[in-house]
Amino acid sequence: MAALLPADHFLIMTVYALLVSGFFALLWRERSRERWKLFGVLLASLLLGGLAAAWIMYPFPS
Amino acid sequence: MSPAEGRDARRALTAAAMAWVFPGLGHFYLGRRRTAGAFAAIVTLCFALGLSFEGRLYSIESGQPLTMLATFAVYGTGLLNLTARILSGNPGGTVLAPTYEYGCAYLLTAGLMNLLLMLDAWDIASGRKS
Repeated sequence: MAALLPADHFLIMTVYALLVSGFFALLWRERSRERWKLFGVLLASLLLGGLAAAWIMYPFPS
Repeated sequence: MSPAEGRDARRALTAAAMAWVFPGLGHFYLGRRRTAGAFAAIVTLCFALGLSFEGRLYSIESGQPLTMLATFAVYGTGLLNLTARILSGNPGGTVLAPTYEYGCAYLLTAGLMNLLLMLDAWDIASGRKS
């Protein structure tokens, strides 16, 4: 099966964060406004958390 | 168990089973059509991306106990997993592919999300969740 996305780390991480955030926003909240709010919080947490983890690990292995 | 409770239990079991067969089908059965469509799109896209990244559809291996958990997770996607195993020429993935680990993460996540959908459908059908 051909790759549906280019092998770009940030792009793959962002799509993953979008899918997971959307899933849990739909699962855990009933109202539209609350869903969007949770979606934003989860998306920001996943993206910023991923970038923070990458920044911390940047010197390794060296 | 009263007849009403028996009906509720059957409805909950049917909803959970349908949710396993295909993502979102349990919610569709319970009348939540828009949510069902969104769940189906998210889980199916996640699974398709995992396959396209040449991730692995896990099977249990002797001497590798963690593969039991991974296999349980991947089998959570129901028919998607079974169909992919039959149609895919490469169910074991490509370990040397640069996107292999991403593929495995996407496939495992799709399975775990669908297992959560099964539990959610069960809770809705049995009245534990509105």
